Amino acid sequence: MTLRVAHYLNQFFAGIGGEEVADRPPQSHEGPIGPGNLLASLLGPDGTVVSTLVCGDAFFNETAEEAHAAVADWLRDTGPELVVAGPAFAAGRYGVACAHVCRIADELGIPAVTALHPENPGRLTYPKAYAVPAGRTAASMKDALEAIVQLGRLLAAGDAPGPAEVEGYLPRGIRRPGHRAKPGAERAVEMLVAKLRGEPFLTEIPIDAYDAVAPAPPVADVSRVTLGLVTTGAIVPMGNPDRLKRASETRWSTYPLASRDELTADDYECVHGGFFNMIACENPNFVLPLDAVRALEREGAIGRLADFYCCTSGNDQRLADCARNGREIASALEEAGVEAALLVAT
Amino acid sequence: MGPESQSQIKAVADRFGTDDLVVVLGAADPEALEVAAETVTTGDPAYAGPLAGVSLGLPVVHILEPEVKEQVDPEVYSEQVGLLELTLDTDAVQTAMRKLRHEGGE
Repeated sequence: MTLRVAHYLNQFFAGIGGEEVADRPPQSHEGPIGPGNLLASLLGPDGTVVSTLVCGDAFFNETAEEAHAAVADWLRDTGPELVVAGPAFAAGRYGVACAHVCRIADELGIPAVTALHPENPGRLTYPKAYAVPAGRTAASMKDALEAIVQLGRLLAAGDAPGPAEVEGYLPRGIRRPGHRAKPGAERAVEMLVAKLRGEPFLTEIPIDAYDAVAPAPPVADVSRVTLGLVTTGAIVPMGNPDRLKRASETRWSTYPLASRDELTADDYECVHGGFFNMIACENPNFVLPLDAVRALEREGAIGRLADFYCCTSGNDQRLADCARNGREIASALEEAGVEAALLVAT
Repeated sequence: MGPESQSQIKAVADRFGTDDLVVVLGAADPEALEVAAETVTTGDPAYAGPLAGVSLGLPVVHILEPEVKEQVDPEVYSEQVGLLELTLDTDAVQTAMRKLRHEGGE
């Protein structure tokens, strides 16, 4: 009997299009689509991609309840023995959608597997999902699907996979009791000796790369503070003087705001590559709300606005760069006497 | 590379053949370049567009490479590419292209 596989894809990988059709509601199709054809050939005669659910990334993330219900209905109707979501690579919203699909499949008792770049935020959405590591882009499609098929077969057979480091999937933060050849004290000393000698060693308790950021204490009296504006929405002076990149930017920039009451489309533009930025180019205040903050300043609701803003392209950035940029921006604001910052959602 | 671009390239290759066809890429990001180059040589790695499983084997160059630039009317180049040339990291693009062609066995 062949393995019945159901496959989840976003609008891009289904070949429908990019951001302009990301609001497509979920729709199921019989058989494989796009990368599902490669998945089908890797499964060989032992497996069949019986159905594909395609949903726009914007729809899945902005209309979550409806999207989740559609996934559950699709899985009940299709009755697969294995669910494959993605691969989503480093695509954030797609990764989150794939993680939800794995969660919903788990809740229905169906084995599920996805493939994510280790920094994909989908890993935080549902850490218990079985996700094999993928590269940042579709260039690693074949490797990712091969790993998916290998792990998927194991899960579908009802076998509990071994530890992440043995089976090759991304760690799920689950620890199980088991036997080791040597007691903990001996292993710890061996690791310490290796570390002191500069030799490679493998920690047994990896520190989670996503550390929690403690929120700043509340501002006591907003009407008396100097407020700083910060955006990851890549609003830059026209011509992009610092050549801020559309994606994968490692730097941040600062630009003056003094004597401006609002941002105009003649003087500013949006160079962010992660969303449809035409509307932000037409009215940059939608992303960096200088007009609204100036109104609050006039009303006396805030003390005063700092005479500059800080800016980066929050799109496909490395976590290490984000953390460093955050520290640098915070200290630049502090040096300028800013007491509170408004980081506007992109 | 989106399905629309893939479909246009495929149509051109079907009509004129692949012998005298070169693809001039414009993507700025080395990773996007890798995907675009693979799409028109070995086939769409994303398996999302018309070039999925279609190996055109077309040579790839980039609009920001000096060999390409010198073949374009300077006025047209300045009008169409000038701003991009100033904004993008041309060295990174040129390095990425050399690496891609090397890996492609050219």
